[in-house]
Amino acid sequence: MPSLKDLKTRINSVKSTQKITSAMKMVAAAKLRRAQDSAERGRPYADRMQQIINSLAAKADPSSAPQLLVGNGQDKTHLLVVVSADRGLCGGFNGVITRQTRNEVARLRGEGKTVKLIMVGRKSADSLRRELGDSYIEALEGIQGTSVAFADAASIGEKVRAGFEAGEFDVCTVIFNKFKSAISQEVTLKKLIPAEVDEAAPAGDQSVSYEYEPEEDELLAAVLPRNISTQIYSALLESSAAELAARMTAMDNATRNAGDLIDRLTLVYNRTRQATITKELIEIISGAEAV
Amino acid sequence: MAETTQLELVTPADIMVQKSAEMVVAPGAEGLFGVLPRHAPLLSDLARGIVEVHENGKIANRFMIDGGLADVSGESVTILTERAEDLDKASRDDVKSRADAASGAEADFLNAVLAAL
Repeated sequence: MPSLKDLKTRINSVKSTQKITSAMKMVAAAKLRRAQDSAERGRPYADRMQQIINSLAAKADPSSAPQLLVGNGQDKTHLLVVVSADRGLCGGFNGVITRQTRNEVARLRGEGKTVKLIMVGRKSADSLRRELGDSYIEALEGIQGTSVAFADAASIGEKVRAGFEAGEFDVCTVIFNKFKSAISQEVTLKKLIPAEVDEAAPAGDQSVSYEYEPEEDELLAAVLPRNISTQIYSALLESSAAELAARMTAMDNATRNAGDLIDRLTLVYNRTRQATITKELIEIISGAEAV
Repeated sequence: MAETTQLELVTPADIMVQKSAEMVVAPGAEGLFGVLPRHAPLLSDLARGIVEVHENGKIANRFMIDGGLADVSGESVTILTERAEDLDKASRDDVKSRADAASGAEADFLNAVLAAL
């Protein structure tokens, strides 16, 4: 049976943990609102870019289309851009990304392909460094926070594009957590190169005969590199909103759990105290009777 | 009220401008072009330059953009650009200090904005 003093110490320690987790929950909730807002405001740009690419790609001649759109005809080396968080204490957020990356790498290697990695965010980079560290091209951190700068996404995009042109890889995919709602995130794999084109683009757009300035293929060649940066930017925005949402949920659970623990410990504490009092009374009474 | 076209200036972070205009002049990659209502559908690459918004026969707003795309239809002009700056609201000192703090393409753009102010 633990002593009263031990129980008291334990209760106090759980109480201070609870204070920390509930503060973290509130901080995450406040930041989430801003991150969610900027993720939503970033969508129009990405959506319109995709629309333009869809309509251009529908018209482009597959044989002369830019390689960023159709790929370079090979499928040997894959580049994965993995977006996780810099900080922990956000439930399964980094875990799912790490697991998904590990599975994807295993799958690609099983097919006899070479895999290269660009890791954004410290957590997954650290947990995979031991097994996959030699495939890292780069591990970046400190990009994500409450606000994601487009310049950071553009510099990653620039590296990806330069690497592709130098023939360092054939296919590029981004792995990130997509923000679905405050309580759920979804691991998403998005192909950057070759660019994803929605074949079922609304036919209404195609019926309009657009004028192009310059010609379609030149325009397509100008748009595709920008699209890479845009897609990376939107992945970063989604991921930071998802991270905060995951942290908020995790900390909410932790706070509630600490509350339950405090209740249980308090009960044990009161029982123990009562038992001690009863025992002392019995001793006094039986002592008095003996006299 | 004259016929108008709907202008949208969209950057990766935000929809910066959303308003109706009588004419929009955009810096196309192959030269400046003006867009009036009922313009034929056009998709154009843009160079770094100034987008002019005309209202009541006068220039109402000027925006510096760092290249991008213009998607023109009969009723609307959508400009997608990575960086944009409102030349009527930007102050010289503010842009100057941001240009000093920034690097690469960003600094380059802000210096161009400074020159246009």
